[in-house]
Amino acid sequence: MYLAIRNQAAEPDCGAEAEDTSAAVAATPVAPEAPVRRASTAAPRILPSGMPEAEAIQRAQAGEEGSFEALYTLHKRRVYSLCLRMTGNTAEAEDLTQEAFLQLYRKIATFRGESAFSTWLHRLAVNVVLMHLRKRGLPEVSLQETMEPTEEDGPKKDFGSADQVLAGSIDRVNLERAIENLPPGYRIIFVLHDIEGYEHNEIAEMMGCSIGNSKSQLHKARMKMRDLLKVNRAERNASKR
Amino acid sequence: MEIDELEQPSGHAVESGSTNSEAESIKPMNCVDFQRDLPLIIDTGGNAEQEEHLRTCPVCGDLVADLRYIAEQAKLLIPMRDPSPKVWSNIEDRLKREGLVKSAQGRRG
Repeated sequence: MYLAIRNQAAEPDCGAEAEDTSAAVAATPVAPEAPVRRASTAAPRILPSGMPEAEAIQRAQAGEEGSFEALYTLHKRRVYSLCLRMTGNTAEAEDLTQEAFLQLYRKIATFRGESAFSTWLHRLAVNVVLMHLRKRGLPEVSLQETMEPTEEDGPKKDFGSADQVLAGSIDRVNLERAIENLPPGYRIIFVLHDIEGYEHNEIAEMMGCSIGNSKSQLHKARMKMRDLLKVNRAERNASKR
Repeated sequence: MEIDELEQPSGHAVESGSTNSEAESIKPMNCVDFQRDLPLIIDTGGNAEQEEHLRTCPVCGDLVADLRYIAEQAKLLIPMRDPSPKVWSNIEDRLKREGLVKSAQGRRG
């Protein structure tokens, strides 16, 4: 009945729960062996100039300025979009984009090509954003929130009829707007899992939480998205009358 | 509720090899139990009881359909916006100050 959105990787035993989810966790080192992200395969391997990306990387490793800019031009949109979706703030997203690329260039000599360059860059950008959010003291995943049921957690009793389900009624603009309106903790999980394609075990590792927490927060994020989208649709329908 | 309990969906698994009485032997599940288990099963599938409840309950059926739809639409989002030009200008300045780029005539450093 449930079609897996994507195949779940085997989930490791997470062991004991972290007592303090707000404790700074060292940024997960860039993992060259990380699986190719769904979205990373969309990045072209040929630069607009016609130069293969692999060659541009080698030239950047040798310090050629033009190649740095070429790689930036190729990947800036995806990195910036990630930062913007996770923070919801354009100024922060630009600062984090800048920092992500600077870290990339400082480390580029260590890139050996075991994984896609875009995957390596993407994981680095995620780490940069998460470190920034931790410094701000933003609780990414609240154990307390997960453990204590709220009114929102109660069974949904709205009897939906076929014309009330969301299918077919969402466009990109409304979806993006709903994501922007998600509470920060929910937004992070939603972006990492449903948009960027990270698995729960990866999210748990990055954020220092359990897989169960990651799943619970994702579910709450999706439920909140559902509420936001239904309200938005009702408002649009009302304005048409 | 202990966190570990989140890892253990409720419900009784139907024994394999059940015959035509499988539907009869499935213990009816209510919406409370189903929606409590939903975070753990929505992306991987549930047991026979959960599947049966989903099949027969319009409320939970619509809920799951909506959540799946949201996840599927999110997968289709593509990056749409570029950072302002000043981002590259700042990066370029830092690269030069840190000696990470070589000039057209000199060595890197």
